[in-house]
Amino acid sequence: MCLGIESTAHTFGASLVDDRDRIVTNVNSTYRPPVGVGIHPRKASEHLASVADRIVKTALSTKDSSSIAPDVIAYAAGPGLGPCLRIGATVGRALSSFLKRPLVPVHHGVAHLDIAMSITKAHDPLAVLVSGGHTSILVHVGKRWRVYGETQDITLGNLLDMFAREAKLPSPGGLSVSREATKGENLIKLPYTVKGNDVAYSGLLTAAATSLRRQGNLADLCFSLQETAFSMLSEAVERSLVQTRRSEVLLAGGVAASPRLREMIGSVAEDHGASFHPVPIEYSGDCGAQIACSGRLAYESGITVSTSDSFVTPRWRMDEVDVPWIPRA
Amino acid sequence: MDTASLTSTPLHRGAEADLSLATIGPWKVVVKRRVRKKYRNPILDERIRHDRTISEASVIHEAKTAGARVPSIVGVDIENNAIVMTHLAGTVARESLDDMGKSEAQKLLRSIGEQIGLLHTAGIVHGDLTTSNVIVSPFGAPFIVDFGMSRRSVEPEDRGVDLHLLKRSIIASHRQNPASMMNSMIRGYEKTTGKKVASSTWRKAREIARRGRYFAIR
Repeated sequence: MCLGIESTAHTFGASLVDDRDRIVTNVNSTYRPPVGVGIHPRKASEHLASVADRIVKTALSTKDSSSIAPDVIAYAAGPGLGPCLRIGATVGRALSSFLKRPLVPVHHGVAHLDIAMSITKAHDPLAVLVSGGHTSILVHVGKRWRVYGETQDITLGNLLDMFAREAKLPSPGGLSVSREATKGENLIKLPYTVKGNDVAYSGLLTAAATSLRRQGNLADLCFSLQETAFSMLSEAVERSLVQTRRSEVLLAGGVAASPRLREMIGSVAEDHGASFHPVPIEYSGDCGAQIACSGRLAYESGITVSTSDSFVTPRWRMDEVDVPWIPRA
Repeated sequence: MDTASLTSTPLHRGAEADLSLATIGPWKVVVKRRVRKKYRNPILDERIRHDRTISEASVIHEAKTAGARVPSIVGVDIENNAIVMTHLAGTVARESLDDMGKSEAQKLLRSIGEQIGLLHTAGIVHGDLTTSNVIVSPFGAPFIVDFGMSRRSVEPEDRGVDLHLLKRSIIASHRQNPASMMNSMIRGYEKTTGKKVASSTWRKAREIARRGRYFAIR
């Protein structure tokens, strides 16, 4: 039984995954900033600290309220906001020393892919990771994920969140923009920037925000923003798929919850005869289960860390992590 | 030029266009038709296909005039978003590179570098440089193809993107040592651009790589 602790940004989560990769418990609490404001790292970390004990306790108790002792403790070591990462790492270290169980550091982005692969039964996919922290197209070669394409500036999650903030729409921004977009129908011309397999979203954000300030129609703007931003990514994904010739396309991360994005990436996969593996919506956003799932796989590959070396790494690229458990059986 | 009446056989299905083979007089030609993308909004889709068809045809022609090894433009069919160009015989570098010995691979990379240098000197950036977009002729000379993402630019930024993309494609798709492959490429590049442009472009390419998420100097 592996306990996973997520605390990279706005969510504190704890989850148990058993030896057969089944999610036994998954308890999460998310900090929501006021409308029009972004996540303040200190305020988010205060929220995480205030809910941590309750979340862990709930995740470790069974239905008849007896408590389960995990065999392994996994914590999200990065990337993310420093103050937030340190909360989860502290809880992980404490539990590991108290229960005398091994501690496993987990890369939050790798974990997004691991849980998606577990649930959707993907083996060796072209992985599309879209969230507030990542917008990357990856393939697994040798021991590591290799970045085939990525954003050169802000992530897709950033783009939607920052636009939602400008428009005074509530967090999470992706959901708010998506709701508004269903009411829009006129395509407004916005910058479309694809550089090879890379995308760049900052020009798109500026143009959309400027148009908003000039009293542009919000529904049309949300619609056009989604169409343009998702088309850019879909084009990069299609290009990468043709070049890497993978037969599976995995879609993971918080923005993977977007119905329109699922539709578009699914259409790209279908067009090229690849199977489409979108993460179920309830596991798309940050959660304890992803850390538990990835931690279990890492532990089975012999990856552990001593308490004195259990640092957090706020900046940690996907292609710097050894992931020997892929391709999956 | 009307490509709808040409009899052609399918050749290759790319990411954004279908390539097919046809014969016009004594020439074997390739018809590159940008197909409609189901995932894309129809207005956005038409705009992108139209703009890229025109830009690609004119850039290829300009590259040829500058002496780079690229296909020759035979005609453009704007109504059908299609370009007709001469067919190139050879192998795709992505396929052949891994089968080559180290010195042969280095020689090819040097030669690819020279070609990229010629394009950059002519004020053209490719925009999608990968080993899949290089065709190696039976005599071992590399031809650069697929100018769908290319633009006219002399900015170090855009030139840097070209080298960055090529490097990443070598890291992601090939087992050859990326550092030594890129060294050979740069030597060739320097031959056609001169030292000054070569060093500023390479500096920019490394800077662009660091722009990716979560890069830290360790």
